[in-house]
Amino acid sequence: MAKYYDIDDIITEEETVSVIFQKAASGVGIDPSAEMDFVEAGSKVELPFWLAHELHLRQAVSVNVPLCFNQKTRLEIQADSASVDLRSRCPFFYEFGCKMAPLVADRTIGFLLLSAFKSRYKEVLTKAHTASFEAGSKFWTILTKEEINLYETAQSAMASFKKWRIGGARFQIASILRRKRKPTE
Amino acid sequence: MYGRKGCQLLKELSSSEKGHLPQFNSDLFEQVFAECSQHHLELQSLIRKMQEEGLDVQTAKNADHHGALIHHLALVRNKRCLMAYVYNRADNVRSLLWKIGHVLPKEIEEKLSHSEEVYFKKHSARLKSYMSSLQVDLTVDMVPPKDPYIKIRVLDDIGEGIVLSDDKTANFARHSIHFLKRTDAEQFISRGLMEELTG
Repeated sequence: MAKYYDIDDIITEEETVSVIFQKAASGVGIDPSAEMDFVEAGSKVELPFWLAHELHLRQAVSVNVPLCFNQKTRLEIQADSASVDLRSRCPFFYEFGCKMAPLVADRTIGFLLLSAFKSRYKEVLTKAHTASFEAGSKFWTILTKEEINLYETAQSAMASFKKWRIGGARFQIASILRRKRKPTE
Repeated sequence: MYGRKGCQLLKELSSSEKGHLPQFNSDLFEQVFAECSQHHLELQSLIRKMQEEGLDVQTAKNADHHGALIHHLALVRNKRCLMAYVYNRADNVRSLLWKIGHVLPKEIEEKLSHSEEVYFKKHSARLKSYMSSLQVDLTVDMVPPKDPYIKIRVLDDIGEGIVLSDDKTANFARHSIHFLKRTDAEQFISRGLMEELTG
């Protein structure tokens, strides 16, 4: 319940999972291939995680391993973890993996997450301190949300350290009133 | 897919720039709300159907049961999305009070829904009454002071005859430079009307 209001947690649970219905369900329009509002037992449907999880607990569906943890991704991570585009696969790769692991029979997901995070973590921190702004922003696009948080924390820590050494204005306009960029609609 | 709109609402909130408050999306909010009512109706009709067939709603695990379950879960999910939206915005609205002060600029006030405006005003009144009972202004000196006076430049015409805490009035014309008590200057700086000069 601690994460009930957590926006990131809610968005993570929106990630789709493919499931196979073990039981039939009537009166619901979640299977796009069905003509009627009826899901047959044995039909394969893409469901958001929050629904798949609860139905799995009640043994109404069986869950397949999501695409972002497939063999191709694993091989890429083994080859060069730092340059794999995890964001396009799943912006909450690690959180989603942690939620998925208990649901599927595959026991290697935990190990995959750990090894991916360990090797990428080093790269994120190095880039955060050394990369110029443009190079950094290109690097950004392949990071997951968690890694972006780390990247920004590392950069702001460095910036505050420099500011502390040099000194500077201590008062600033409230960030909400600052208009650096136009809001992208 | 069920629950997608609720999640869109939150994505909008999380993709906004850090520290910025997007416009209250009452349109999408209403749509999610309508989705909830729809789920409620369908849930009830499925349960009624089970009762008419003479099944025990608690124990029967037929197709209608699973249909009703899915509607129930979608309803709970949508509720969570709506609650999180309101809760996180309320958090943000409260922090405005500390960052900007008791009077909100027009462009920010427009982004709040009516109930959020009321919430802000009530929160502000509560804080004021608490501070007056303590006789301390908690909203100033957010950065620990080094010197009681600072040098500032006025960025916008604030107007004449502003009474400072030492009962003197000052004329803050645009681009003029003043040497002020930091407690007087702080609120103008956080509203973007002055800037601190250093060095």
